Amino acid sequence: MAEEEKISKSIDKASLELIEKAAKDGVNTAFDRADTMKPCPIGAVGSCCKNCGMGPCRVPLPKGKEETPEDKLKRRGICGATAETIAARNFIRMVAGGAAAHSDHGRGVAELFLAVANGKAPGYEIKDEQKLLQLALDWGIEIGDRSNNEIAIDIGEKALAEFGKQEGELITLRKAPLKRQELWRQQGISPRGIDREIVEIMHRTHIGVDQDFKSLLKQGVRAAIGDGWGGSMIATELQDILFGTPAPVLGKANLGVLEEDEVNIIIHGHEPLLSEMIVAAAQEPEMIELAKSKGAKGINLAGMCCTANEILMRHGVAIAGNFLQQELAIVTGAVDAMVVDVQCIMQSIQTVAECYHTKIITTSPKAKITGAIHIEFDEHDALKSAREIVTTAIENFPNRKGNIYVPDEQTVQIAGFSHETINYLLGGMFRASYRPLNDNIINGRIRGVAGVVGCNNARVKHNEGHVVMVKELIKNDVIVLTTGCNAIACAEAGLMVPEAAAKYAGKGLAEVCETVGIPPVLHLGSCVDNSRILIAATAMVKDGGLGDDISDLPVAGAAPEWMSEKAISIGQYFVASGVYTVFGVTWPTEGSKEVTDYLFKDMEDMVGGMWAFEPDPIKAAHLMIEHIDKKRKALGIDKARERVLYDMEMRREMEAA
Amino acid sequence: MDYKTVKKEAPGRGEVEILAETYEAGEPVGEDAGRWRQKLESRDEKLRYLESGERYWYSDDWFGSEKRKNPA
Ligand code: SF4
Ligand code: SF4
Repeated sequence: MAEEEKISKSIDKASLELIEKAAKDGVNTAFDRADTMKPCPIGAVGSCCKNCGMGPCRVPLPKGKEETPEDKLKRRGICGATAETIAARNFIRMVAGGAAAHSDHGRGVAELFLAVANGKAPGYEIKDEQKLLQLALDWGIEIGDRSNNEIAIDIGEKALAEFGKQEGELITLRKAPLKRQELWRQQGISPRGIDREIVEIMHRTHIGVDQDFKSLLKQGVRAAIGDGWGGSMIATELQDILFGTPAPVLGKANLGVLEEDEVNIIIHGHEPLLSEMIVAAAQEPEMIELAKSKGAKGINLAGMCCTANEILMRHGVAIAGNFLQQELAIVTGAVDAMVVDVQCIMQSIQTVAECYHTKIITTSPKAKITGAIHIEFDEHDALKSAREIVTTAIENFPNRKGNIYVPDEQTVQIAGFSHETINYLLGGMFRASYRPLNDNIINGRIRGVAGVVGCNNARVKHNEGHVVMVKELIKNDVIVLTTGCNAIACAEAGLMVPEAAAKYAGKGLAEVCETVGIPPVLHLGSCVDNSRILIAATAMVKDGGLGDDISDLPVAGAAPEWMSEKAISIGQYFVASGVYTVFGVTWPTEGSKEVTDYLFKDMEDMVGGMWAFEPDPIKAAHLMIEHIDKKRKALGIDKARERVLYDMEMRREMEAA
Repeated sequence: MDYKTVKKEAPGRGEVEILAETYEAGEPVGEDAGRWRQKLESRDEKLRYLESGERYWYSDDWFGSEKRKNPA
């Protein structure tokens, strides 16, 4: 592979080395496929509909000339659906896909939670009583002298009922700023049940139903709120109760965390339910003995994608990589098993695994892969499933083919910044508080806050958008809260240690990070943990001094390398919460100017937040900074940034004048 | 921990030496270093912490954007 072609694929040295090894080994990866398969230009901009058997209907904008009104009238599907309707339908179907994925994850957690409370899931327990009490208070569940399990049964039942609720509004919305709740009510976009809003999208986008793009987009907003403030939030809260609310923890990141002489098990996907048990099983002395009997020095667990974030946040388990590194991990030849559950798992890992010795083990009844081994996760005997998986990996160790290369690259990171931990770190045990953050925003040391999240996308250089954007933001004194694959990219770039503040952050932000002892980029967890960012923003609002609603805050959101439908749902609920949100790579409604303008401008009138699209990460960072400055101005705190430090001489002169 | 110092210009006093960064380089020591929640033991303590630390949601004892000291 030509050097230039190779370095255009990733900014990460370990990934580049393994892309090269894959080429030598004759292994085809997503990087190769992205070269040979160009995206369809009509589908990419949302101008193709295949919602019925008369289609697919393609309604692209005319090339190289302005569209006349007559041309526009003709730009319709067979059923008469306009380009606007088609673009809006496609967009909200993406929201539905994303909201469904997050929320079904939430449902799975709620089911396990209830089983634990009922004593039907041995091996699991309620690890965080405080979070349990917190949820009981949130949801009006009696505490009194009741046992944790009694309280948990009520919480579990209530959580599950939220998914199928038919009327009213989600109980979790109560966490939002009061003004925001009121706005959602006025606009008629407070979600009723999580599932209901998703089903309604599928109904409305069926041929011949909702054919007004604004009406369609509004339903997209409603379903997305049901994701961020509903399904995702339920997932995060219940996971915290079961596995512990994250607190600062030291971890490592990148493919160099794999060990040549140990049994390497990669846990990939999203749900921490089984992976928590695998962490436990891999530490059992019998398992370690078994590994040694096969010639390995021990068992090395590493995570990938959001499962990685979950087990890092709670156990400090190393992260092997993000979305685009999943095939590359197998290319090392040192992965004895890759255990997967749901979401963001490339089917090609099985094909890559066949070139080496790696066993791909699927575990969810919802997500099987042809050719892979299936060991189903049974919540009623999870430790048994976990032991079977670890044993399979150990027994595969002697089958390694000798063609092994593990890159050196690995970085250190501090993760575990849940809302609760940020609150505690800023204010201390006796008066935990966001006050120091708000004060430092008001006095201008911190310019604002950015939530930078989302995937990798094989259409752009791996991790470049993430790292370039985040560096630009912190350089300009914007503190970054991150989740998902962005968090992994930032960790690999060394941005998640306190020392990074002195190296990369602006003077004001660096001062604050040094005082509190935090990195300039805070890891809040997995994709469902974007709900933690919503809570952090709400705490900033409630603490005071920065307006009455999230839309008043000097904050912005971004997903510079997004690719999944979940990212669209996340972006939409950030926007619906009042956050200006910039996406990179590509924009899926560009085929309709009206729909795009509505999302990029008019949506601000509805919810106080809006979308933007900018593929250049530096320019995108500056769009965010401009927005932050606009909000600072509206709050009257823009002058604070131009602080003049008066020395005694100047003071005397002033007094004399 | 070794405290670092830096030299800065102080108005009227020329160059002075002051304390620089006060954090230790990145790595908290010991597995439990970050585990602050475990410090709260009884249910009462946990509820009290919620009332103070998460007061915006679980107590009336606070002022902020939704409960102003001097209502507009
Ligand atoms: S729903 Fe309408 S636009 Fe879509 S494929 Fe069918 S006929 Fe074409
Ligand atoms: S950030 Fe995107 S690619 Fe990464 S795990 Fe989440 S959805 Fe998947």
